[in-house]
Amino acid sequence: MSLNSHMNVLDFTLLSLLRRKFKNLGIVLVFTFIVFITGSILFLSYSFKREALLILKGSPELIVQRMSAGRQELIPVGRAKEISAIPGVSGVEPRYWGYYYDPLVKANYTILASSGSLSAGNRLLQGRLPAPEEKGVAAVGRGVAKARFIDMGSTISLVSAAGDAMDFDVVGIFESESELLTADLIVLGRPDVIRLFRMPPDMATDLAVTVRNETEAPVIAGKIRSRFPDTRPILRKEIIRTYDAVFGWRSGLILTLFAGALVAFIILAWDKATGLSAEEKKEIGILKAIGWETSDIIEMKFWEGLVISLSSFLLGIILAYVHVYFFGASVFAPALKGWSVIYPDFRLAPFIDPYQIAMLMALTVIPYIASTIIPSWKAAITDPDEVVRG
Amino acid sequence: MNDPIIQTNELTKYYNKGKANEVLAVSGVSIGIRRGDFAVLKGPSGSGKTTMLSLLGCMTRPTSGSITLEGRDISHLPERFLTDIRRTTYGFIFQQFHLIQGMSVLQNVMLPLYPTDVDLPKLKKKAEGLLEGIGMMKRRDFPVQGLSGGEQQRTAIARALINSPEIVLADEPTAHLDTALSRNFMAIMKDLWEKGKTVIIASHDPIVFENEYAALVVEMRDGAVRNVTRK
Amino acid sequence: MRKSLVFGLFVLGCFLFLAALGATSHVRVSHFLAVSHDLGDITATLKLTDISFSDDARYTRNPSQADIFSAFQDYPGSIEHFPSGSVTPPPDFTSLGAAMKVRGQ
Ligand SMILES: Nc1ncnc2c1ncn2[C@@H]1O[C@H](COP(=O)(O)OP(=O)(O)OP(=O)(O)O)[C@@H](O)[C@H]1O
Ligand SMILES: [Mg+2]
Repeated sequence: MSLNSHMNVLDFTLLSLLRRKFKNLGIVLVFTFIVFITGSILFLSYSFKREALLILKGSPELIVQRMSAGRQELIPVGRAKEISAIPGVSGVEPRYWGYYYDPLVKANYTILASSGSLSAGNRLLQGRLPAPEEKGVAAVGRGVAKARFIDMGSTISLVSAAGDAMDFDVVGIFESESELLTADLIVLGRPDVIRLFRMPPDMATDLAVTVRNETEAPVIAGKIRSRFPDTRPILRKEIIRTYDAVFGWRSGLILTLFAGALVAFIILAWDKATGLSAEEKKEIGILKAIGWETSDIIEMKFWEGLVISLSSFLLGIILAYVHVYFFGASVFAPALKGWSVIYPDFRLAPFIDPYQIAMLMALTVIPYIASTIIPSWKAAITDPDEVVRG
Repeated sequence: MNDPIIQTNELTKYYNKGKANEVLAVSGVSIGIRRGDFAVLKGPSGSGKTTMLSLLGCMTRPTSGSITLEGRDISHLPERFLTDIRRTTYGFIFQQFHLIQGMSVLQNVMLPLYPTDVDLPKLKKKAEGLLEGIGMMKRRDFPVQGLSGGEQQRTAIARALINSPEIVLADEPTAHLDTALSRNFMAIMKDLWEKGKTVIIASHDPIVFENEYAALVVEMRDGAVRNVTRK
Repeated sequence: MRKSLVFGLFVLGCFLFLAALGATSHVRVSHFLAVSHDLGDITATLKLTDISFSDDARYTRNPSQADIFSAFQDYPGSIEHFPSGSVTPPPDFTSLGAAMKVRGQ
């Protein structure tokens, strides 16, 4: 067989598919939708993961929390000294942070004590961070700024644990490009955080430990635990592992929401796979009787499966890309956002995993072609004698 | 010219052999059909005409006995070769026409040669020529399900001829037609026969077997040959 | 034009479009990589451990930090119920008076 005969068979297949325009268009639509949803989830979670890993590369190698009665407790700052004496530890710094629920806009903020300033050329902060010991100033994330209609120079007022209002001058706003990291942050000077949360003196939320050699981190974590049995060290590696799990959870959620469509499609494919219609069977018989070979018929069925599944795959994957990277995954927004008020604008970097795309293609196109070919196989190998008789 | 193009020898066909519903449809038929013959298989309903035609046309294989086509025993060839013979040597006109619904007359006529190397525009020209010859050009782009019985049959004839077959087979071609259309059909067959094709028709219609050019009439009963007349 | 050619061109067009998308992806990723240096700076300076992705409940804000924040922080039935809080609306507490205001209503 030459190229021309293959093209002829493809021509015939397209002709034949066009006879049942609406049915086949319906299949393509449902199929495209499935690829679109799965593709969007893949794009989204892969980009998230890659971005998260790149962003979090700079986070502390080791966080030490104190546990009390199975819950996290504030940790005495004095322990920092003892921990920094452990060989391999290059620095220990207490972190002061917590959450603040703002009933006004019904949003959760993350309050964080400043512990230094960003490097000079950082383009992601408009203004500056409060100095560690500075009072009465704040740098806020873009999400907070939007929720509270804040600009540089405005004041933001929070209610402290003691009940009195505290006003802060906004000296810095994070640029929206950093939203995935900073959307809900309010960075204050340390004395303000302590007063706002009414933290006891000499206590911190947890300790950030830097180590000389990251491969040593687990050993150091073990030493910290044996020295302070009531602590829980969290390794950066574990953080990264957590992110895998979190994206698994979010994508699982989306998948659940669209499970209906998936089931509908599986039923459709099953219906096709388990039996040919009498009409299709007859047509195969006729083609054989007038001189089509079994292999020609299989080839026609192959084209049929390929035309539908490849078109659907290509359309679906293009739509998914546009959806996730140009429209910020707007279809999924309700599921992704949950009830959050402050939510980063998705401007994800389109990290693409070619392997994943190839996988998705293999998993959609091949089974569909198989489910088109296999049921017609039997019809194609029977004698055309029955056709003669009608 | 007198050597048989098709020769059968003790041709026997059982359906559902070995089962309770076993049927002996053709039993021990030995006939010879010459190149350029106009042969008619006649006989009452259930006598095995369709089964014979199906065996001769390589649509099914005999239970025992043999068929020789142009000196070659084809009764035990693998499916692939039978298909090839169907495609190159035979044109079959089915009793129920068996056109592909939803496609046009022209597409149906072109159908047999799609999986071959032909150039589609050339194939189209040839199909149009055939349609022209049987007066179907004006229906060229009609979907076949809208055609009258006679028009459907003419489409089926054109489709059977698209591969320029040596042998044309037809099963009960006049069963669905009135007398005028039946004569019309026979005229087309006569024309083919005059052009040198071998024509084999299964029918119990006198219009078919009672005409002067039906040189060979094989009368069948209960699967066996009862009488062979050669004019 | 014959139909197989139309289909072939359609597939080719799709692949070309995908290639174009791949090119924009490349540009945007390299832009992100440029910015990610500054992002890393923020992470390191503020000692952040998590991204601001699930802000709907306190314990989902910093998933890597097991902490004191658990369900029902403010009142029973608070929408911080994990993980269905993302899809199930909070219960209606209006009958309990204005003091029981639920976020998101
Ligand atoms: N697929 C089959 N399975 C079982 N029996 C069959 C099958 N096909 C044909 N038969 C039987 O074989 C016998 C011969 O059938 P055939 O169709 O060849 O007769 P026919 O001469 O063409 O009859 P008619 O004039 O009614 O078309 C009949 O008894 C029929 O019932
Ligand atoms: Mg019959």
